[in-house]
Amino acid sequence: MKEDLEKSTPSKISSFQVFLIHVCCGLALAVGFWVAHNVYSINLISHPTSTLRLIWAIEFPVVILLFSCFRQKPEKCSYLKAIARGLLGLPVGALLNALGALALGAPAGLQYFERTVSWSLLMSSLTFVPTACVYGSCWTDWHRIFACTKPKGSLDFMLCLPAHGAVIGAWFGAWPMPLDWERPWQDWPICVSYGAMAGYVAGMVGSLGLALMHTGGGKQLKAE
Amino acid sequence: MFLHIIAVLIFTKGFLLTRTELPHSSHCSDLSQSPCHSSSYCWTKPVVDRLIIIVLDALRFDFVAPSSFFEQKQPWMDRLKVLHRMTLVNPSSAKIFKAIADPPTTSLQRLKGLTTGALPTFIDVGNSFGAPAIVEDNFIKQLIQNGKRVVVMGDDTWTQLFPNNFNKSYPYPSFNVKDLNTVDNGCIEHLLPSLHQQDWDVLIAHFLGMDHAGHIYGVDSTPMIEKLEQYNAVLEKVIEEIQNQSGPGKLHENSLLLVMGDHGQTLNGDHGGGSPEEVETSIFAMSFKNLPTLPSEFVSSSCEPSKNICISSIHQLDFAVTVSSLLGVPFPFGSIGRVNPELYALAVGTWKLDDNKTWNNQDELKLEEWLQNYVNVICINSWQVKRYVDVYSASSVIGFSSEDLFHISDLYAKAKENQLNLSFDKNESSNTSLPVLKRQIVAYFEFLSYVAELARSKWTEFDLKLMVTGIGIMLFSIYCHILAIRKLNKSYVVSLPLSRDSGISFGLMLASFTVLMRASSLLSNSYILKEGKVANFLLATTCIVTLRFSFMMNKLLLEAIIFLLLIFICRIAIEIGLYKQAATSQFMSASSSWVLGISLSESMWIYIVEIVSILALIILGYFLYNAISSYCRGIAKCAMMGTILSYLLIALYWISESNILDLPHFLKGMGKTYIPRTIYSIGLGQILLMTFVPLFSKEEASSYKGSLYVKMISILSTCSSTIIILQGKQGAFVALGFLLAGYCMMKLQGIEQHSVGGAAKITILDPLPILQWSLLAVCLFFATGHWCAFDGLRYGAAFIGFDEFVLVPQAILLTIDTFGFSHIFSVFGLPLFVQMEHNSLLSINLFWIFMVYGLITATTATATIVCVAIQRRHLMVWGLFAPKFVFDVVGLILTDLLIFVASIYYF
Repeated sequence: MKEDLEKSTPSKISSFQVFLIHVCCGLALAVGFWVAHNVYSINLISHPTSTLRLIWAIEFPVVILLFSCFRQKPEKCSYLKAIARGLLGLPVGALLNALGALALGAPAGLQYFERTVSWSLLMSSLTFVPTACVYGSCWTDWHRIFACTKPKGSLDFMLCLPAHGAVIGAWFGAWPMPLDWERPWQDWPICVSYGAMAGYVAGMVGSLGLALMHTGGGKQLKAE
Repeated sequence: MFLHIIAVLIFTKGFLLTRTELPHSSHCSDLSQSPCHSSSYCWTKPVVDRLIIIVLDALRFDFVAPSSFFEQKQPWMDRLKVLHRMTLVNPSSAKIFKAIADPPTTSLQRLKGLTTGALPTFIDVGNSFGAPAIVEDNFIKQLIQNGKRVVVMGDDTWTQLFPNNFNKSYPYPSFNVKDLNTVDNGCIEHLLPSLHQQDWDVLIAHFLGMDHAGHIYGVDSTPMIEKLEQYNAVLEKVIEEIQNQSGPGKLHENSLLLVMGDHGQTLNGDHGGGSPEEVETSIFAMSFKNLPTLPSEFVSSSCEPSKNICISSIHQLDFAVTVSSLLGVPFPFGSIGRVNPELYALAVGTWKLDDNKTWNNQDELKLEEWLQNYVNVICINSWQVKRYVDVYSASSVIGFSSEDLFHISDLYAKAKENQLNLSFDKNESSNTSLPVLKRQIVAYFEFLSYVAELARSKWTEFDLKLMVTGIGIMLFSIYCHILAIRKLNKSYVVSLPLSRDSGISFGLMLASFTVLMRASSLLSNSYILKEGKVANFLLATTCIVTLRFSFMMNKLLLEAIIFLLLIFICRIAIEIGLYKQAATSQFMSASSSWVLGISLSESMWIYIVEIVSILALIILGYFLYNAISSYCRGIAKCAMMGTILSYLLIALYWISESNILDLPHFLKGMGKTYIPRTIYSIGLGQILLMTFVPLFSKEEASSYKGSLYVKMISILSTCSSTIIILQGKQGAFVALGFLLAGYCMMKLQGIEQHSVGGAAKITILDPLPILQWSLLAVCLFFATGHWCAFDGLRYGAAFIGFDEFVLVPQAILLTIDTFGFSHIFSVFGLPLFVQMEHNSLLSINLFWIFMVYGLITATTATATIVCVAIQRRHLMVWGLFAPKFVFDVVGLILTDLLIFVASIYYF
């Protein structure tokens, strides 16, 4: 059992590290909001595009730098290469996210173009970039995490849960949009972004919990 | 299925407030039947020569009334100062009324109510088929019949309601909510010059800016206050103008000015419901003569002693009769209002009194004369209402109860008796009749208010018991449905060679979750408004889930992606459909989230669209031809050849309709009527062929599934030609998309089980593709430019191939057009999802599929019914929920019928 675990998660990761990463990611989001609010005195409702861009700009480097530390096969792949992979993964993920949103009914006009782009960049850095940093273009790993949802070990949980959380959160965030309350936040993509971020945070908490349980279980196994 | 129909019928009876519109109208000569004192005039003695009605849309009561009437002074109060000044200066000739409207407080319904004097109805069972024109007898119609000349300016709703009735009209489009000024400026431009002209008797000016300002900015906003100030200036000018001309012998000697709102609005600027803010509006009436005050018994004023302004209240119902009586035209036939004494008095009297108690002799005589006159008017009024009630309860299905009728006639008889006494009295001594007259008026008032009360309760109360019973039966039917499906499932599983654990699969969970999501989304009006988008959202969600599965299995990726693309296209089509809806719907602002930069009027685009649509048709025909050559033989082949022939004819028809080729006119005319008719008859012939031939020839079933497919393709092709020609150019695309989507779904449906079970042969019944199918059907309904409102029906389709109006075939064509893709096609296309090769299992499988499809439709319909019942006091009940209810219910019944037919056909 122990060997199995070791094999499947070559780069081991302790629950403390998981905690650290998640705290950093969460903090990055919070800092993004804070900067937007206090430095530029804008918020998501009044200036959705620039706020999203700001949050994304703060979140993205944090994510890319942090997750690149946990790249697979560190002997073959340098830190810089992992960063490059992350950078490459960003537009691809953004494209996929944007296409998905469009298929689900996001407004497709030119006046929404900028917002859609910044939203999908943020979504991409929440969902796609970490995995790209860690696994690169390894199809089977991607397949395992996103298609079959069979994560192994806390690293996979760390990638999988927040990403799914963000997507599902965004999905639920879309529901208040057509209501006729005529609030400014019902505009695309404000509540979707809120939903996505809430889902992301929930996913992080979940993965943290799982990581704690996992390591606890591992320790128990070791003790036996 | 029968349970459904019963439930729906019961619920409908409880829910729909129906009032039959009667086509009768009043005539001058009718009066001889009444017991009232008849005069040489038409119905009443005309007392006003010219009438100026200025309608300010969404005029709140507190816009007009002085702010001292309210606890707090708000910035929007006291802006129409000229009205206050007039009432202060001339309390007997100018008066502010609080007018109480009946919900629904939307402009169209209110204008209808104002002019007919009747209560609003939801389904107006009239003779008109398309236009919203009023068929009931109304005040405008009476004016025209009696030779009055009417001029209207402003909101174009008037010209829609009363087409071709006006001598002159200056309509301006009303649907652009963001435009505050076009209508108003147009009104102002024509209003003042018209005051000098002689060629009208009644002038109606409808200002819309306030309504629009409220919708966009709300009541407490600068645009609203600017609007109010603008109106103040306009009214000042108008009043000054009329006063200048009001001397004896001048143009406006006998004029009456009415400034009124059609409904109020909430502080947010919304209206439509029944809250006091929306219902209370105002009427300001002013005549340009010195006038009497009324005996205090009939005055319902609440006065402000310090400022000497009195405000009375009036029901909007009473408006039509009162104005008719002032102008001396017959009262509208269906009116149940009463002649309001105060408004009547404003224009009628010729004397002035300082105080009620110190009448001198001459005044008393005049008062008596006035009262006599009024009694006469109100007698005619009562007689007209009584006649309406009698005719109505004789002709209508859902009339009044006999008790109520008895009570009405009782009251009326009492009042009439008095009237007879009165006429005797008058002959003997005229001095003592004053109290008698008053008594008489009170008796009539009693009668009229009782009728109005009764009508209001009959026509606006819901029958809760029936509704609950209907819902109960509906739920029970769904329960039965689920039980039946369970049973089928069990027999299916048992008959499988390899019985395996049929736990709750992921697909089932997702499907039920989606259905529940959709059902609960019907609770809100906004989701109903955007139902197409919601369905599309859910469809795309399920599709993405399937895409994930296909990723999981690493196969059939292409189909899934094509499917997703199709959904994307479908979504754009839905948005175009919604855009069209926004242009006509009163609930949606006409802003579109994306606007095509191409104006479709460019001829290049027209050509391209036409050519592409014909191409799509050819591709369809090609598919069919392939299908024929590979599968079919015998009769089915004949049927399909027929379809291909009709495709060719459709292409020909489109070409002849467009101007690509310059066909001679004669040929064009031929094409317009005969080609569609040929297509209809081919379709009909094919259906007949398919029904009767299997009875005679028993073809051996080599492979049951194959023959099922053949049957399906042939019936689909049969239906398709008619539907496509009805849908117009988009029909071909949609049919093509439908085909592709069906193919993708069929391919995709097995994926999940393969991945979960591993054993490829065994398939557990999976509701997910069926759900997708039904969602797709809903999407197509919206994508083909329909929506759940009566103006969403495409009346144009009913006239393809027919020039004149014939009710039955047109109705059939309209039904086919409306439900063609979403119901007919999808039900007949369901066998696509049959998976089994085996004979007996196949029929179970097919039956199961039909049952599940029926269940999904029934669940949504039930959800609609429950939501409608819950929201029956919602302000958009009549605008949104009720049409949705009707569409869903019709769809449900149609689906049930079609499933029935299809199961007969396929088994």
